[in-house]
Amino acid sequence: MADKTQISVNFSSVPVIFLLTLVSLPLVLMYTYLFVDTISNSEAGSLIPNELTLEHWRFLWEIRPGKASIWLVTLNTFIFAASITAVILIVSSMAGYVLSRLNVPARGLLLAGVMVLHAFPSVTLIISIFIVLQYVGLYNSLIGVILVKAAIDMPLGIWLMKGFYDTVPWEIEMAGLVDGASRFTVWRRLVLPQIKPAIMALGLFSFLTGWSEFILPQVLAPGAQVQVLSVYLASLIADDNNFDFATFKAVGVFYVVPVLILYVFFQKHLMNIYGGGTKG
Amino acid sequence: MRTSRTLGIIMIAPAATMIFLFYLMPAILTGIFAMTNMSTATGISGGVYQVTQSAANRLQDDMPELAAGIAEPRFVIDDEGLAALEALKLKPGYVAELRGQHVGAVFASRREAERVIKALKDRPSTREVKQISDLFNRSVLNTRFETRDALIGSLEKLGFTMTPEEQDKVARVTYTGWVWTTDNFRVIASSPDMAKIFFNTAFYVAVTLMLFNVSYALFLAVTTHYMPPATASVFRAVWLLPRITPVVIYVLMWKWLTWDNGFISMFLGQFGVPPKNYLLDNAYNAWFFVILINGFIGASMGMLVFSSAIKAIPQTHFHASEVDGASRWQQIRYIILPQLRWPILFVTCYQTLSLLASFNEILLSTRGGPGRATEVWSLAAYHTALNNYTGNLEYGLGAALALVLVVIGIVLSLIYLRIFRYDTLISKPLIED
Repeated sequence: MADKTQISVNFSSVPVIFLLTLVSLPLVLMYTYLFVDTISNSEAGSLIPNELTLEHWRFLWEIRPGKASIWLVTLNTFIFAASITAVILIVSSMAGYVLSRLNVPARGLLLAGVMVLHAFPSVTLIISIFIVLQYVGLYNSLIGVILVKAAIDMPLGIWLMKGFYDTVPWEIEMAGLVDGASRFTVWRRLVLPQIKPAIMALGLFSFLTGWSEFILPQVLAPGAQVQVLSVYLASLIADDNNFDFATFKAVGVFYVVPVLILYVFFQKHLMNIYGGGTKG
Repeated sequence: MRTSRTLGIIMIAPAATMIFLFYLMPAILTGIFAMTNMSTATGISGGVYQVTQSAANRLQDDMPELAAGIAEPRFVIDDEGLAALEALKLKPGYVAELRGQHVGAVFASRREAERVIKALKDRPSTREVKQISDLFNRSVLNTRFETRDALIGSLEKLGFTMTPEEQDKVARVTYTGWVWTTDNFRVIASSPDMAKIFFNTAFYVAVTLMLFNVSYALFLAVTTHYMPPATASVFRAVWLLPRITPVVIYVLMWKWLTWDNGFISMFLGQFGVPPKNYLLDNAYNAWFFVILINGFIGASMGMLVFSSAIKAIPQTHFHASEVDGASRWQQIRYIILPQLRWPILFVTCYQTLSLLASFNEILLSTRGGPGRATEVWSLAAYHTALNNYTGNLEYGLGAALALVLVVIGIVLSLIYLRIFRYDTLISKPLIED
């Protein structure tokens, strides 16, 4: 049974491991230093840290001149990501069911439309969305950018939900109907519980993409009161007067840690979505 | 069963509404905005008519005397001015005489107007002459007119007579709002800058796609395939990091790697190489890193797709081939690659579109620099319409640039739809009437 972990008995895997380690070095290096630099100082021109410090984390209790408080920004980011998740889950769990099971007019067309939109590069629409939001007064508001981001991620959500509904056996619904439940009750009480893992996966995924999103809030809601972490960090980096990689990295770590934690804990759930292809 | 149909329509309504509002309408509006010259200067709602010096300059060629005339002050003795003069309570004789003898007179310069005022019987003082003449100043320069009629009317009152064509022309050059035009497309087709950006985009998409999204992703998938599962999952996790890391931090790490106070400079500094900004010092380096930055992100998606496709190949194929003495290269060439034809096509189609449209990474790393060396199409649209140094955001031209991408996007996604045969994915509803 020693062969069980060995894909090929004739070849050693050492050369490929060595090769891949070599090409992975830049990434490992960048991530290592991302964390190391936030809690240490090193002498000028040296790459080896010589003291531990928390000074790069000052941004947590000090408000930088001309910037919003990090906690307000974090709250905005949380609201942004959580609202997107809610909208996507509600809307696509309904639409996915319709496309999978119900007989609506133009169902084929709708499904084709969703698939085209899934591949369609929606960021190209940002200019007209920007002008429209200015017209209707939703520019620089969280609501506007939440709706836009949710809409942009929705085709993927609908597509995934449809795929998950397809795996639910028809017999469950038939049984429900025979017992006298309405189609809506069948969906709500019998089918939805069947796809809980899918809802979990899509919810996590939507939260993470919302948390990471940069260009939409940057263009549609750049104001200090509605800033999210990505825009906050980008504006720190763009400010040439206070250039300090260690602080940037500390903010970056503060921003990325929730992502990494969610990812480590729910890797199995997320994998089938990342594998299915996302934009970007 | 009518309820199923009604329920279906109700349940799909929110999705349909959002798709209409945020896909269909913006796509159509992109087309509409592309046909205008909207910009910060014209605003996005209507405009007004204003005779500015630059408008007068533009009229210079066709209507020289009109152009010279409207740019200069005009003095008209009219009721409005007389009423204002009365209100000043100077000597009543001024008003009476001006009303009696000069009403309707138009003077082309302040001097002519003041000569007449000075000649009044009551002999106004020099200060009064100035005061009075100001009241009759009816120059149109820098005055705002809400409507076209107001503009033409006030020009006619000043003694400019114009043919209807001339009126059109004057109205056109003095209008400050946006107008319909096809100039955007002419600019895109003829400007050498745009040609450069077009080739940049083609180069960037082709190279990133070939080298990383397909080749390097294949390399990762194949090498991790030949590893013990535990090791393989470590490497897959490492190579998934670029995808799950928020783009702002991801690019920040690359900046730290490449900038003059970053890792490469410091590392080479140990050997006496002077530090420099490897990201921005010349176009070749900029392209090198832009492609790496995007390629690493793209590689992870291909890696996942290809890995699961390789996993689907029956193990017996590999075992049989090894019994027959196949080399590793032969296994890859004759077993793995033929099985990956569809996944490769899928990744190519999909990533072409995302590479064409995404400009996050380039915007955050080089901003299209040095100069405009790494400016690609979607970034150019962003810079033109949403963010640039001059401050005049040209929404119309930007929308025209985006429209090109929208059209390419629609065409490619339709092709994608045909290739991947969506009709096989719909099953007939079983519980229906």
